[in-house]
Amino acid sequence: MVIDKRERNSVVIFDIEGEIRRSDITDVTLHQLVKDELERGRKQILLNFEKVDFIDSFGVGEILASYISTHNLGGKLKLARISKKLYLIFQVTMLTKVLDIFDEEDLALRSFLKE
Amino acid sequence: MAERRLPKILAAVVKIKPGEARLALQLFAYFFLITAPYNVIKSLRDASYLEDLGPNFLPFAYASVMVVGLAVSLHARLQARLSRRGLLMGTLAVFVAFDLIFWLVFRERVHWGWWALVYWMWANVLIVVLNAQFWILVNDLFNPREAKRLIGLFGSGGILGGVAGGMLTGFAARWMKNPHDLLPISAVLLLAALVVVRSLFSGRPAADADVRRAPETHPAAPGKVGFWDCARSVNGSRYLILIAAVVLVTGIVSTLIDWQSKSIIYQAGRANLTSFFGFLNSGFLAFAFLFQLVLTSRFLDRFGIRLGLMIYPAVLLALSLGIAAAPAALWLAVGIKGSDKALSYSINQSARELLYIPVAPELKYRAKIFIDMFVNRFSKAIGGLVLLIVFSLAHVQLSNAASSPRLVTEASIASAAFIAAWIVLNVLLGRAYVREVRLQLAEKWERPDIVVSDRMDVETAKLIVDALESRSQSPTLFALHLYDLARRRKLTPEIKSLLVPPSESQAEYPSGAVPAVLESAEADEAALSTGLDTEIREIMALDSYQKLMGDYAESVLEGRGGSDTAKMELAKAIGLMDRSAPLAGRLEDFLADGSPAVFQFAAESAGRLKDRTFVPALVRRLADPKSRGDARAALEKYGESIVGTLSDFLADREESPELRGPIASLLAGIGTEEAAATLLDQMARGASGLEADIVDALDRIRSRHPGVAFPESAVRERLGRALDALGPVSAAADVLPVFRLLGLIYDHEDIFRAYQNLLKGTNDSVGYAVELLDQTVDPDLKGRLLPKLESLAPGSAVPERP
Repeated sequence: MVIDKRERNSVVIFDIEGEIRRSDITDVTLHQLVKDELERGRKQILLNFEKVDFIDSFGVGEILASYISTHNLGGKLKLARISKKLYLIFQVTMLTKVLDIFDEEDLALRSFLKE
Repeated sequence: MAERRLPKILAAVVKIKPGEARLALQLFAYFFLITAPYNVIKSLRDASYLEDLGPNFLPFAYASVMVVGLAVSLHARLQARLSRRGLLMGTLAVFVAFDLIFWLVFRERVHWGWWALVYWMWANVLIVVLNAQFWILVNDLFNPREAKRLIGLFGSGGILGGVAGGMLTGFAARWMKNPHDLLPISAVLLLAALVVVRSLFSGRPAADADVRRAPETHPAAPGKVGFWDCARSVNGSRYLILIAAVVLVTGIVSTLIDWQSKSIIYQAGRANLTSFFGFLNSGFLAFAFLFQLVLTSRFLDRFGIRLGLMIYPAVLLALSLGIAAAPAALWLAVGIKGSDKALSYSINQSARELLYIPVAPELKYRAKIFIDMFVNRFSKAIGGLVLLIVFSLAHVQLSNAASSPRLVTEASIASAAFIAAWIVLNVLLGRAYVREVRLQLAEKWERPDIVVSDRMDVETAKLIVDALESRSQSPTLFALHLYDLARRRKLTPEIKSLLVPPSESQAEYPSGAVPAVLESAEADEAALSTGLDTEIREIMALDSYQKLMGDYAESVLEGRGGSDTAKMELAKAIGLMDRSAPLAGRLEDFLADGSPAVFQFAAESAGRLKDRTFVPALVRRLADPKSRGDARAALEKYGESIVGTLSDFLADREESPELRGPIASLLAGIGTEEAAATLLDQMARGASGLEADIVDALDRIRSRHPGVAFPESAVRERLGRALDALGPVSAAADVLPVFRLLGLIYDHEDIFRAYQNLLKGTNDSVGYAVELLDQTVDPDLKGRLLPKLESLAPGSAVPERP
């Protein structure tokens, strides 16, 4: 898994590439990266899953932990371009009721602006 | 006035129903008018033979009956070609002609000793053909119950004819110079029989009038109908083979007894044998007549065909052993011959003829003519051979045989051995009869609710409907349903295409995910049900997930955006979690929700999680008609583990019947021995207002789980009360509770096949149903139940003409 960071309109965007799975844990996890940004005072975070091939429950756990951490600090974490399969998982687990999920990055960024 | 009074008189003697009197009397007259000449001809046959050839040559006479095989073949062909009316009337006409020919032969005193043998053979053909034809007609007309009721009446017509024929022979032989002058009288009687047959058939529409099951326009036996075809018909059925075997052994025994009695009488030196046999036959038949008229139907009704078949061989066995011990005792000779005649013409013939009634028509008529005409006669030939073997083993010359008391003893021992075999065959035949009656009943009975649950996947059907409904209601709920279907491997291409949301509402689905679920490879049911399943479970087990969704649940339940749809989604999603998950505990809140739709999904989840803490909430909802089905389905999934709790609710009289009734049904759904015991316990305690629910529940357990045992005493006690409370039965449904109780202690399938036939409500269906019950249930129950059931038959066998 490779995670690149960039910024647009003061929103921290993590472009994730590859597979997010328990067996492929890197030294720095997604949650750790998010927490680092939160500690730096960046409270608008967008996770871009465009290049994610696979995500397991560990990966979902990372997303949820990131969401909770962000939420607890009054920030906003949103998701964009998740695969159809992941969307289905989020629907079945009802996470679509909690998480903000967008088809396109621009739509997500616009939603940050609105808030 | 007299016509109206007659059925009342008949009803006092036999159990005759309105509308049956005319037909029963016609059959009585028909049987009388063929057996009276039959007895004249038979007495002349015996006397002529004994006077012309002597008793030593009787085995040849017995063996001569092989010629009857030709008559069988000819009769079978005629039966296939002619209408029943044509066959019966034509046969009578031919016998009248031959009767007169023999009269002329004897009148001209043709001096040829073997005329007696020719006459013997002709008499045998006449006897078997007329007798078989009469019983074929009875088989055409009646079902077993009707026949059992009426056989005493029309059967006694035959015996009375025998008495009249014997008396006529006895007196005429004394007064007439030539006893053969009786032959024209017998011809007149046969002509009278022809008139009765004509009247029996006349005046009815062609399709129905002749016979109900073998109308005139349709000959009974299609295809090949030669002698061997008839023989093959018997050979192809174990039941018919047993009937044939019994007839064969009966004939052998009858022949041995005939020889024994004739030898003893001959040794006693009776003069004027024609007169003696004439009076003797009359005396025997007078006894048989009374037995037949008064006792046969009652006996068969009370004790059934199986015991009816046993009376005759049992009496003969006792008398045969008596003769073996005292071979010169004239009273024993008269007793055994009298018993043979009286019982064979009354109860044994009646029981035996009833055996044919459940046989399929296409087999019955071929088999019957083969057995009655050939096997019956052939048995006499075998009897003759057995006698010759006995003579040979005893080293007694044929010319001395009739005067040897030692030979009488040995013949008696031989007949006792054959009677023992006969009794064994009767036992087997009795069992086979019940199987044949069962075959005449409708297809296997199945409870409609069990058929639905067995043949339809109600749960999946419900899930598909829910999924369809949720398409426009909630994408999340829709996805949950799809996932559920996939896990059950029910997301077939057909169902997928059915579930694709309408194009106008697809905009509601972010990312187009839901249509994609239905179209993409990820939506493949195998992929959904294996890989995704594990992932979803693992996600739901995450602490972060539980915390996040716990907060969401809290907001929904507190009413912050907590629409019913949101509650339904959550209630359904909780069912996917582990029972120990913190969020699972929130299900109780959804179970208490007033919305039936929310409860539906909460109950489904409770059924999956099987946490006992949810049971009281689920039980309470049994009383609510809107939620009862869902509560019940969920509770059934708990299985036997909640029988104790359910038992407490069922026993609590303070609970409403609306709640306790469904609990009985629920216990039936659980269907274990413990569930049955709980229901029986409540039944024994007289659960007021719930009797029908409990009996229905027990029946459901019996239908579904045949291995579950029910304590007979408790069921019998309840059955007794149900029968006491049973008033006049006007519809089969009136006796359904009684049948459900009967089904708990007797063969459930037999009982409900019988019930199904009662529901059908035709004469035959009711007749066969009652007959099967007659063979199945105890005499005490039969006596209380069967008379009420017989009132369900719509009318008489053949309606009387106005």
